[in-house]
Amino acid sequence: MLIWLILIPVIAAALIGLLRTPGRLTAITAAAVMLVLGVGAILCSILCPECSKACLSTVCGTKIQFTLGLPFSKIMVLLALLVTLAATIGMKAPNKDAERSWSISSLLLSAGAIGAFMSDNIIAFYGFHELALIPTFIMIGCYGRGDRRSIAWTATVYLGLASMVLLAGLLLLCTQMNAWTFTALKTSVASGMPSTPCLIAGLLIVGFGTLVSLFPFHTWAAPAYASAPAPIAMLHAGVLKKFGLYGLFTLAEAFGSRCGELFGSWNNLLLLLLLGNILWVGYVTVSQTRLDDMLGNSSVMHMGYIFLAFAAVIADKGNNILAYQGAAVLMLAHGLTIAMLFLLTGQIESQTRTLELDSMGGLARKLPLLGFLFGLAGMASIGLPLLANFAGEYTIFVSCFANWKTGATAATAGCDVLTCCINWLNALPWGIGCVFTWMFNGISSGLSAIASVFGGLGAVQLTLVFALWGLVISAIYMLRAFRNIFESEIGHTSERATKLSCADIISAGFLALFIVLFGIAPQLLKPLMNLI
Amino acid sequence: MTIPLAHYLILSGILFSIGLAGVLIRRNILVVFMCLEMMLSAANISLVAFSRAQGTAGIPVYDAQVLSLFIVAIAAAEVSIGLALIVAMFRARRTVDSTSLNSLKD
Amino acid sequence: MIQNLPWLFLVLPLLVAAIDWVIFHKCPKTAATLSILSALGTFALCIAYLTGWQTGTADIYTWMPTGSAATSLHLGLTMDELAMRMMLVVTGIGLLVHIFSIGYMKGDNSNLSRYFAGLSIFMFSMSTIVLADNLAMTFIGWEMVGFSSYLLIGHWFHKASAADAAKKAFITNRVGDFGFLLGILLTLGVFGTLTFDKMGTAAAGVAPCLLTVTVICLFCGAIGKSAQFPLHVWLPDAMEGPTPVSALIHAATMVAAGVYMMVRLQISMGTEVFTETARMVIATVGAITAVMAAIIATQQDDIKRVLAYSTLSQLGYMVMAVGLLAGEAAMFHLYTHAWFKALLFLGAGAVIVCCHHEQDIWKMGGLARRMPVTVLCFLMGTFALIAVPGFSGFFSKEAILDAAVVKHPTFFWIGVGVAVLTTFYMTRLCLVAFFGPARAHGAAEAREASPSMLLPLLALAVMAIISGYGFVADYLVPAKGFHAHGFHFGFTFYVSLGALVLGLLAAVVIYGFGKRSADPLSNNFISTALRKRLYIDAIYDKGLVGGLQQCGAHIIEFIDSALIRGLLVQGSAWLVRCIGVLLSRIQCGSLRAYSCVAGLGLLIIIVLIAL
Repeated sequence: MLIWLILIPVIAAALIGLLRTPGRLTAITAAAVMLVLGVGAILCSILCPECSKACLSTVCGTKIQFTLGLPFSKIMVLLALLVTLAATIGMKAPNKDAERSWSISSLLLSAGAIGAFMSDNIIAFYGFHELALIPTFIMIGCYGRGDRRSIAWTATVYLGLASMVLLAGLLLLCTQMNAWTFTALKTSVASGMPSTPCLIAGLLIVGFGTLVSLFPFHTWAAPAYASAPAPIAMLHAGVLKKFGLYGLFTLAEAFGSRCGELFGSWNNLLLLLLLGNILWVGYVTVSQTRLDDMLGNSSVMHMGYIFLAFAAVIADKGNNILAYQGAAVLMLAHGLTIAMLFLLTGQIESQTRTLELDSMGGLARKLPLLGFLFGLAGMASIGLPLLANFAGEYTIFVSCFANWKTGATAATAGCDVLTCCINWLNALPWGIGCVFTWMFNGISSGLSAIASVFGGLGAVQLTLVFALWGLVISAIYMLRAFRNIFESEIGHTSERATKLSCADIISAGFLALFIVLFGIAPQLLKPLMNLI
Repeated sequence: MTIPLAHYLILSGILFSIGLAGVLIRRNILVVFMCLEMMLSAANISLVAFSRAQGTAGIPVYDAQVLSLFIVAIAAAEVSIGLALIVAMFRARRTVDSTSLNSLKD
Repeated sequence: MIQNLPWLFLVLPLLVAAIDWVIFHKCPKTAATLSILSALGTFALCIAYLTGWQTGTADIYTWMPTGSAATSLHLGLTMDELAMRMMLVVTGIGLLVHIFSIGYMKGDNSNLSRYFAGLSIFMFSMSTIVLADNLAMTFIGWEMVGFSSYLLIGHWFHKASAADAAKKAFITNRVGDFGFLLGILLTLGVFGTLTFDKMGTAAAGVAPCLLTVTVICLFCGAIGKSAQFPLHVWLPDAMEGPTPVSALIHAATMVAAGVYMMVRLQISMGTEVFTETARMVIATVGAITAVMAAIIATQQDDIKRVLAYSTLSQLGYMVMAVGLLAGEAAMFHLYTHAWFKALLFLGAGAVIVCCHHEQDIWKMGGLARRMPVTVLCFLMGTFALIAVPGFSGFFSKEAILDAAVVKHPTFFWIGVGVAVLTTFYMTRLCLVAFFGPARAHGAAEAREASPSMLLPLLALAVMAIISGYGFVADYLVPAKGFHAHGFHFGFTFYVSLGALVLGLLAAVVIYGFGKRSADPLSNNFISTALRKRLYIDAIYDKGLVGGLQQCGAHIIEFIDSALIRGLLVQGSAWLVRCIGVLLSRIQCGSLRAYSCVAGLGLLIIIVLIAL
């Protein structure tokens, strides 16, 4: 039955391509059928976990098992289904031919992503992702904004190299463990670890990391998202990009309490790199002047938090359920949010025919609903409570401190650095002396206290302290963008705005509904994770 | 009296060298093609010669002769395709000069 | 005794906000009615719980289950005296502000549904902070009040200044929340829990340095939300919002949330957690804010700005009291301040509307004759603020000063100094705006405010007078087992009376009874500095935001595009292309060259075999 989740989009794409059926309509139908089917499959596998074993399918004799039994499978498939439907409904292609090819690419992308998230076989997992990358490159190359060919090639070469590194890592891992599925990996961990864990982990982190735009390998992502047509950007940034994180978390879960032995030696470097994502790319985002560039970079930035959850899992030797949960919720939430933002960016562009932040203004007076939806998505992306991202981000933050105990680690010494000065100041007349004493005492003991507290913090906690600043950065760029586009006087570009179509509202509203739902009740997602 | 193997091989070598030289030197693609055929013939001669030389009691080893028959058959097919290509090329470009056929280089 | 009834405090306003926004966004009248009904409902519920007609608590809502109870994230409600009485202040003033808004926003052509939805969201968020039983839930409310404040400050977002002020408020609060969230996480580490009830026991054996840092980090949240010294810059700008919003959010409730949170922490963590250093930092920040804001207020011309700086200064007072471990006095002052400052803001709102949206006090004058009821109410609020004996503010200020004189005399004298300044600038405001001749067209035509505005004013005026007396305060002040300040004619009383008289005299001598048409103290460098807010905003704008952040961002962006994208990525692409160009030389396209190479290769193979 699960195979139909992949076959339906492929068949629909073939129908559009060969029989010339209307592109968008076919795609919407396919996406809707997939959503119904997928939700059914997910519910079925929640209600009776035994059934999920029966859901294995074999294609042409080779064992490509599909399962929803992996820790993050259900949640990621759900994300893919939701975003696919929204992307197909909200599609605004320039002409009929473009609409056909956009529909075909979206369906194939979604089929590849769903295939990767449902594959138990590690090589099939890898292969489906490669399959899904192809339509991305073609769509950027043919229909992108700006310098599309150069951007498409950069992304192709970048991701091609990353996939090669990743494949090397996966093959090494599978041969050394003699297990070719995630389930088999989990059972074979008990009998032994790979002989070259450091090399494998390095290859995996670089490979998966590049696919998720980890810090020094991030430069492909923002231009590609900024350039891609809206449905492609939605599906890639929202869904397909999570592949790398999905892979890392699934492997970490498969290795259970021994994941520290595999990835542990890279953890400190990873922490440094994810700070690069959050702070470095954060400030890159602040200095963008176009909305699409800004959103592309912001998507890169937020990946840092999910990597933080991964680092927390590794640092706690897999014994950190909260980090897994936070990561899963944030992956879903970020997927929905960034998809909605890219969708709305497409709508803004079609209304104002520009994405330069400085040349817009006052759009919310012409289109209050668009302003509301963009505000909702923007607020979700900067982590406002009651919206889905907050649930994920906050859980990750707590998870970093979940296994941290104080007392033994925090030093007590060093609170009397400026005692001499204080004694001298105490001799001053009553009142003034007291204030100075308090101030100096405060400053000195404050400094040494900070030092001792930081000494007592572990690497993950210390990283979190800096990562929290990302909350401020993201508020700065998102509010600035909202203010420039929607508020203040009506700019000349906003004058062009007419009205939103029904499809625009439905597609964005659909995503908004789930962002709010999962924000208010993130515990709904709990059954979607196969964790302890 | 039998002609020793070496003579056949020398003849084959001379033929092959003439063919190779022709391929290297001539610019007319038709001549180059004929020279290629000459090199194939050289190979055939050496094959038949080996067939005789390896035989016992006047019965040659037929493997090599079969092989040379294959070569003749394939060469015939190759010639027909090759000549057709050359004719098509001449029609398209009005020349059979091999040095002028370098449009794929750029 | 209906189980889970208290959740209505949160669900009702949130639901109403959603309905207002989604369904009734084209019919403002229905939206306004719904919002008022929800405020009334929560107010009634609050009274029901305070009078003991309803009791019992609510179930805990597991927000993020993890399997084990220790790490799961819960949302629960605290229903103790501190929370419920605070709820009374919030819902009471909230209700009055909702009613006032109808009159104030009449004739405004912006979307009123959005306005009332914003108010309802605010009521929800503020209730979340007040009722939270753990710090995680407090943080949720913390962010949400920031958001509703952003919405309401930016209600007239077509004005660039309002849009900028909203953005500034949100981002400044986020800076504070950075520290707050860190403090919450450290608390989790130190106490092993975020639930207030369970914190008391865990503190033993933790290094005092760590406690200090934890408390100061938590205090960062209060610095942002209660607009204390380094992060105070957003509050005066927040006056761009509609005046009822300023009254509710930026004077009475939200900005006091920082004080409430600190007092809540002192109760649940125990005061010994607040180390000497932490207390000193808190009290000093409060004192600096109180003094600085009071000084700046003396030279403001905008009626709302004067009140905004006065709010800052009073919040500084409360924070100072928190730092001196006088949490009860701080809550007492918070409570009286909420009533009289809401009164002052609503009064100012009525004045502004009646003067055709004129906010400059030098363009008012003579209003006492044209709108006597409003001005009388405003004067009641002023008397409470400047602590005229017998008014509510007097009792609470005495409570703080009494605590200060015992705990730390330096802060007592700072408090007295602030009292002098407070009296001075409030008297200046009243003399200039209400007496003398009308100095502008708008003020000359001013007429008494409409009943929907007068009603809340009168109710608040009554509270501004009586709320300090024991027979009211003992039942309403948000503190456990509160007993009104035992007032006596002691040292504190005479000093603060002296301060009052000094401030009054100075103001009357300098400004007379509204006869002057310009400020005699202006046009010197001190006045300029004060009008420019001591250049702090300019330093932040030019130095931190414009300089450090923008330059830094541009440098990083440059390095990112030049070094990583340019040198590394494009560079490696260029390297590959160079190698390709070199290698493509081999493919010369000459048939003879190829066959020559092939022949050469053959020769080499033959030679190799022969060897």
